[in-house]
Amino acid sequence: MRFWEGIRLALQQIWAQKLKSFFSLVGVIIGITFLIAVITIVEGMNTYVREDFAGSLFGVNTFSVVRRAQINTGSIDQAERRRTARNPDLLLRDVAVVEEAAPTAKYVAYSADRGFPEVRYGSNSRRNIRVIGGSEDYQAVQGWEVEEGRGLTAIDEQRALKVAVIGAQIAERLFPTNSPLEKRIRVGGQRFRVIGVLERQGGFIGNVRDASILIPFSTFNATLSRRRNGVDEIHVKVETESQMEPTMASVEGALRRDRGLRPTEENDFHLQTSNDLLSAWNTINAILLAAIPGLVSVSLVVGGIVIMNIMLLSVSDRTREIGLRKSLGAKRRDILFQFLTEASTLSIVGSVLGIGIGLGLAALVDRFSPLPATVSLPWLLLAIVLGMGVGVSSGIYPAYRASKLDPIEALRSE
Amino acid sequence: MTTQQQPDDAVIKTRDLHKHYVMGAETVKALNGVDVQIRRNEYVSIMGPSGSGKSTLMNLIGCLDSPTSGEYILNGQPVQDLDDDELARIRNREIGFVFQTFNLLPRATALHNVELPLIYAGVGSKDRQRRAALSLERVGLGDRMDHRPNELSGGQRQRVAIARALVNDPSIVLADEPTGNLDSSTSDEIMQVFESLHAAGQTIIMVTHEFDIAAHSQRVITLVDGKISSHDAEIPSFAAHTERPF
Repeated sequence: MRFWEGIRLALQQIWAQKLKSFFSLVGVIIGITFLIAVITIVEGMNTYVREDFAGSLFGVNTFSVVRRAQINTGSIDQAERRRTARNPDLLLRDVAVVEEAAPTAKYVAYSADRGFPEVRYGSNSRRNIRVIGGSEDYQAVQGWEVEEGRGLTAIDEQRALKVAVIGAQIAERLFPTNSPLEKRIRVGGQRFRVIGVLERQGGFIGNVRDASILIPFSTFNATLSRRRNGVDEIHVKVETESQMEPTMASVEGALRRDRGLRPTEENDFHLQTSNDLLSAWNTINAILLAAIPGLVSVSLVVGGIVIMNIMLLSVSDRTREIGLRKSLGAKRRDILFQFLTEASTLSIVGSVLGIGIGLGLAALVDRFSPLPATVSLPWLLLAIVLGMGVGVSSGIYPAYRASKLDPIEALRSE
Repeated sequence: MTTQQQPDDAVIKTRDLHKHYVMGAETVKALNGVDVQIRRNEYVSIMGPSGSGKSTLMNLIGCLDSPTSGEYILNGQPVQDLDDDELARIRNREIGFVFQTFNLLPRATALHNVELPLIYAGVGSKDRQRRAALSLERVGLGDRMDHRPNELSGGQRQRVAIARALVNDPSIVLADEPTGNLDSSTSDEIMQVFESLHAAGQTIIMVTHEFDIAAHSQRVITLVDGKISSHDAEIPSFAAHTERPF
């Protein structure tokens, strides 16, 4: 009963002095806006990395053998880095070892890749692209679908045909008006016939696929490769998740035997799963999430101090009203509660405005930049709770002052 | 010493009431042994020059303050030793204040202003509105409930304040210079309201320095230097027949 009365009274006060209220809330609004905008984008990236990126980069139930860890998870120290720098390059013969060690695998595919400054068709070009030489099953392991034309086949591989399946961004740039199929593009001094276009991946880190050109491994090995029979990644896809660990163990053992490593020696190769990427992301995520509260709390503290001042002003402006209320039977806690409610309502209004503006900003970022945004209810609730906390903590002192006023003195004040 | 004959229907009874203020090295005895008795349904004025202690006495009677020493029994209950919150509860239930400057909440409607004491009494919203409306009708403002104070005349504002004082059905209405901010015709209007309340059985205590206002009451208590100088001086005939008794 008194609760609603308090909120009604507070809203009345805010509404009566709209401009003053807005300025007194700027601190809280900025703090919450920042919190919501950043959290929304971080959460968006989270969802994206977990659900889209990790899966599409590595495929489901897939692991890769690589020379050394490609992703810095933050857990690799300098010594580890120096040690793995001496790891031998992977070669085609390692693929045979892996294939033999993983007889139950659905696919074993391998690839080598190289970056090039540009790819051209006529006068059109696309800069900074990657050519991937993939074995027959590479597309299947990666889960890359073809949007137009066809993908690579066993015959392309066997005959080392100079054919290419191109990423969506490259197709867009080189062939803005016509079909890319059967056109000959030029990259690294070689010409390739376009036989297909990969489905667009899109999103924040979408250019991994969208700016790639996929050619047969044999073709890559014969034309663009820097190392004869060099392989950058060997991908193993198993049928079910439960097969992941035994298969990885088997592959690890086979490679160690093949390389004659003693039990005391570390692997001179690296087994990589999508978990590597996720843990790298989690590290970044944790840093971001740890930094945000600090930044937000600074603006909330400032906002709280402003609210406290406004409330102190309000108490001295309304001393007479407080005296009247006391003379009519308001107890100390009634007055305390009234001003606490007022401060909380004030800052919750600020939080709600901040949430609105923050979501608006996030929506703009989502719409006009590659950064994704996801609204998360727990964070919205946290923002409200934070706002209320700021209100209560900045309202305590003014409310206490008000509750301590002597009714006689207060009634006498002008 | 407590065997003194006292009427059973005393609503206010003080004995040897003292209120001392310490001002630096000096102690000011604002009240210096006051014995007052006010019976139910009495209409009493308290008068006295400034500094006589009449405001202090009013604050004590109104339970806004506690005496330094002495006894104060309000409606059968000793209240001299109560703490702030207990006093607030007593004020809420037993006392209806009417102030010189009305003291209405400027942004609230007449109805809401009258509801205020009921809010602190913990009365539910429906019941509150009903009782506040009844109280406003009692002072003839049934048609002004939704008006804010700035939409009302001075006399109407004071009647809202009286409605607010009555809404909790208090033991006493305590009016502090209720006509001090009003012109003479409006003052008469307010005095008629008080008289009709008195006729309906309400106990009224009025602090004033105007004789013609005091003359409306049944008797006048006069304070000088913190003591009662004119003890229980009954002047009913003045109130009935004279415009300016002194």
